[in-house]
Amino acid sequence: MAVSTLWKSYLDQTPDRLKFIDAFLVFIVLSGVLQFVYCVLVTNFPFNAFLAGFASSVGQFVLTASLRAQVNPENRSEFKEVSPERAFADFALGSIVLHFFVFNFLG
Amino acid sequence: MRLLSSVLVTLLALTKISFASSSSVLVVLDPSLNREDYSIFFGGLEERGYNLTFRAPKDDTPAITDYGVPNYDHVILFAPDTKSYAQDITPQSLVGLLSENINLLIALSPKQTPLTSLAAEFSLILPPPETPLISHHPARSEPITTIPVPVSSSSPILTPGIPPIWFTGAPHALGSTPMLVPILRAPAESFAADSTSDADSDALIAASEKSGEGLWAGSRMGLVTGFQTKVNSRVVFAGGVKMFSDEYAKKELPSGGAPGNALFATDVAAWVFQEKLRLRIDGVEHHRVGESVAPEVYTTNDEIVYTAHISAYDSKTSAWKPYSGVDDLQLEFTMLDPHIRTSLPAVPGSPGTYQIRFRAPDRHGVFKFVLNWKRKGYSYLESSTTVPVVPPRHDQYPRFLSAAWPYYAGAISTSIGFFLFAALWLAGDVKGERKKGSKVE
Repeated sequence: MAVSTLWKSYLDQTPDRLKFIDAFLVFIVLSGVLQFVYCVLVTNFPFNAFLAGFASSVGQFVLTASLRAQVNPENRSEFKEVSPERAFADFALGSIVLHFFVFNFLG
Repeated sequence: MRLLSSVLVTLLALTKISFASSSSVLVVLDPSLNREDYSIFFGGLEERGYNLTFRAPKDDTPAITDYGVPNYDHVILFAPDTKSYAQDITPQSLVGLLSENINLLIALSPKQTPLTSLAAEFSLILPPPETPLISHHPARSEPITTIPVPVSSSSPILTPGIPPIWFTGAPHALGSTPMLVPILRAPAESFAADSTSDADSDALIAASEKSGEGLWAGSRMGLVTGFQTKVNSRVVFAGGVKMFSDEYAKKELPSGGAPGNALFATDVAAWVFQEKLRLRIDGVEHHRVGESVAPEVYTTNDEIVYTAHISAYDSKTSAWKPYSGVDDLQLEFTMLDPHIRTSLPAVPGSPGTYQIRFRAPDRHGVFKFVLNWKRKGYSYLESSTTVPVVPPRHDQYPRFLSAAWPYYAGAISTSIGFFLFAALWLAGDVKGERKKGSKVE
């Protein structure tokens, strides 16, 4: 009962752009969980590949979550000196560096 | 002129070939033995192309070796009762001849001679002196020391179906060395005793009551035994010299029929003088599957093909012919211990070729291909080839591992997701800008 109210309230009150970021976050979480489950159930060989793939999911989640925090209009008071464009640029740069590391470590 | 000289050279080469096929044999014959009494045996040898030279044990000439180089290919020692020999044919020097690949045929006797201790060097234990072989069966008119011995066909040296042979002499017991090749065993009902009179058989009865200890009897005694040395030279010790004589070759058996002495002597001489059962490895090759040249190094887990070429000597044509009759050849791929031990079967299409394919073990190190085949009566086949086996280089491992595809998929999907997200976000931004801009206006 409370969950459906929460869900309705989320759909009504969240701006479209944030919902778009949330969808991307869900996708990243799913990919990370799948990799982790495979590692635990089937095999953790090769371990470097697991670390790279999992780090890719976790790192991308962290960057996207911080982008959402900085872009949310309700947080304007906390992020006065960071414009949404600056936040997105940080996010993009961080993601590029993350992917560079991931593909190197993936083997 | 050129034609004439080439014809001469060809003739010379041909004559050389025909002489090379004959072997020279030195026969050391005791003066008490008459050469004509052994004419069947010696005549048979000469017919087969051997050049026989006769000499007494005490003579100095003809010398067997001149300054260490042997003059003869084989030596027959028919001097069973001689107590002293000339310098160069003492039994001890004969052992040295074996390492020069000279084959020996030696006749023993019940007397105590230097040959007794020579036989002991070859793990043949002779009975006490003056104890010839005696058998009371089968009933016959000959003395009890002249015995017809049945010939078993189990040895590959003898042609099957030889009738019993007449034998007079001493038996011997065989030691445990695997280099001994038993050729003829004593009949089960025979024994060695020091008197031909049955009245003195106390020692025999005492020994048999002591559960056979010291009892020289039965078919575990050998009468004719061969020995093959590590360099594949052969010696045969025969318990008596009379079985090679004409008299025994013609004497009728008690059960009727001709004896097999001549046939037996021919077979034994053929084996000792390296006519029969003589094999050699012509060459071995090894390479990876799909290649034809041996590489400098092998890598672990390589598929390797090993080939051996084996020939047998054909005395009729005096030539080595490829031989595919070895059916239990084994190959070992060894580093301190054999990591691989597999059979080397003959290849059906090519005579004399034996081939096997196997995977190099998952250990790196210095390995040997070892071929070691030793069977009684046949020449020993030994070959060892050393090769290094190295671990894979850094770029010889598989590039992408199939166990890691979920991780590859996860990383790639995250990257693609990020790019799509960024593109859509920026497109949304542009749309928002246009909307905002028009609103401001």
